[in-house]
Amino acid sequence: MNEKILVVEDEEGLRLFYEEELKSEGYDVITAKNGKEAIKQVEEGSPDLIILDIVMPVMDGMEALSRILRKDRKIPIILNSSYTGYRENFMSWAADAYVTKSTDLTELKNKIQELLKKKKVK
Amino acid sequence: MKVLAIILAGGRGERLYPLTRDRAKPAVPFGGIYRIIDFTLSNCINSGIRHIYALTQYKSISLHRHIQLGWSTLSAPLGEFVEVIPAQQRIDEQWYQGTADAIYQNMYTLQEERPDLLLILSGDHIYKMDYRKMIAFHVEKKADLTVATIRMDRSLSREFGVIEADGDWRIVGFQEKPEEPRTLPGDSQGILASMGVYVFNIEILVRRLIEDARSDSSHDFGKDIIPAMIQKDRVFAFDFREGDQGGTGYWRDVGTLDAYFEANMDLVSLTPQLNLYDPQWPILTYQPPYPPAKTVHAEEGRTGTVINSIISNGCIISGGSVKRSVFSPRVRVHSYVDIEDSILLDGVDVGRHAKIRRAIIDKEVHIPEGTKIGYGLEEDAKRFTVNPSGIVVVPKWIRL
Repeated sequence: MNEKILVVEDEEGLRLFYEEELKSEGYDVITAKNGKEAIKQVEEGSPDLIILDIVMPVMDGMEALSRILRKDRKIPIILNSSYTGYRENFMSWAADAYVTKSTDLTELKNKIQELLKKKKVK
Repeated sequence: MKVLAIILAGGRGERLYPLTRDRAKPAVPFGGIYRIIDFTLSNCINSGIRHIYALTQYKSISLHRHIQLGWSTLSAPLGEFVEVIPAQQRIDEQWYQGTADAIYQNMYTLQEERPDLLLILSGDHIYKMDYRKMIAFHVEKKADLTVATIRMDRSLSREFGVIEADGDWRIVGFQEKPEEPRTLPGDSQGILASMGVYVFNIEILVRRLIEDARSDSSHDFGKDIIPAMIQKDRVFAFDFREGDQGGTGYWRDVGTLDAYFEANMDLVSLTPQLNLYDPQWPILTYQPPYPPAKTVHAEEGRTGTVINSIISNGCIISGGSVKRSVFSPRVRVHSYVDIEDSILLDGVDVGRHAKIRRAIIDKEVHIPEGTKIGYGLEEDAKRFTVNPSGIVVVPKWIRL
C-alpha cells in the first residue's frame, strides 16, 4: 500500500503542485487548506506524514503542529514555509524538519523519504 | 544573563485535606499571615529574580487572589512581574499530564520571554534560599541542568528523587522515589534528595521537552527528563547548604497534616529553625490593614493571656488563654476559653468555655460555647478529620 501524505497549504496553486509532484513519486496525497482542516484530516485520513505550511488563515501551522502532536505524538511533520524566521521559534523545534519553500522539491522529497524510512525502522 | 522563574503551583496537596478542599496547596495559609507560596516568591525577589510566572490548574482562585493582592508591587515599567498563568489549554483540552508537560504546554511563553536560563520552582515548599548562588554554580560548571539537592534521612527515600553525584557534583545516577536508595558516600543513613528546584539552559530544555513530549512518557521532570538528560547532557547537583539563607538547613515539604502542624509549631518554639525575623531575607505576603492584636480582661480566672504563640493582626484574646498556638488574622477568643497547641486560621471565633487542643481550625469557623475539640478523638472523628497522630482538622465554613 502507498504511504499517505497530508499536504497542508492555503494557496490552491501550490497545493495542487505538491499533490501532483508527490503522487508522481508514488505517494497517496490528501490535502487541507488550514490548520483546523489539517487536524480533521489527521483524525479521519490517518496520514503517514504531514507537510505543514505555517502562515495560513483560520489556524496557523504552529498551533496546528502543537495540536496534532497531542493527538499523535509520533507522526512525522515537516514545516514548510517561505519564511526562515520561524526556525528560531521554539515551537517550530517540535517538527521533524523545516524546509524552506522552493519550486524545486528535491530537498522536500528527500526529507519525506528519510522520515518515512526512520518511521518504519521504529 | 536573563533568568525567568516558573513556579509550579498546581499542587493538589491531597494529604493536606481538608485544608486543600477549597484551595491548591501553595495557597494554604502558614505561620499566621503567609501562604506557602510566599516563601518561594520571596526567595525569588530576595535573589533579584523579578520575572516570575506561577502555573496553576486546580482550585486556583484563592491563589490568584493572593498573588494579585500581595504581589502586584513589582515595577511593571521596569519589566518586572509576578503573573499567574492558569492552565490555558492552548494546545490541548486536557490538564497538564506531568510537571514537564506543564512547561511544554507553556512553550509559547518561553518563546515570548526568551530567557537564557529557566529557574523551575515548586510552590509547595518552605525554605529560604538564595537562587543566585545556584545560578552562579550552574554557570561555573557550564551545566545544561542543575538540580538543587539536600541531605535527607534514607528512610524517606520513597518520597524523593534520589541523586548520585561524583566528586565534582556531576550527577551520575538518579532514582525516582526508590525503596533501595543509593546512600551518600561515607554516610550510609543519608541520601541526596532533589528539592524540585532546577536551573536549565533554555535551548537544551526546549529540545528535551520536545523529545519527551513526542515519546511515550509520564512527562515528569523527576521520572523522565532528568534521567534522560543524565545520559547525554551536563547535569550537576547544587548543595542547598551553599545557598541556604537561613543557615539551619531548613527545607520542608509540608505535604501532610503532621508536617504542616509541626512546621507551624516550630515557629512558636524558643528558637525556631525557620527564622521569620531576618531583615536581610524578608518574607513578603499580603496583609489586609487590620488593627493590631489585643488582649483584654485581667480578673482572676478570666485573663486574656497569650503564651509562646503567634498572634496576627485583628485578633482579640478576650478573657481566654492561648498557649503554643498560631493565629491568623481576626481570630476572636472569648472568656474562659482554653486553647493549646493549635492553629486557627482567619476569622475563627471561639465561644466562651470552649477547650481546644492539637487542632487546626480552618477559616471563618464559629466554635459554639462550651465546645471541646481534641479532648475526645472518637467524638471528634464523627464531625471532623482526625489524622492518625491525633490532630483534629475542622474544615472551612462548617456550621457547628
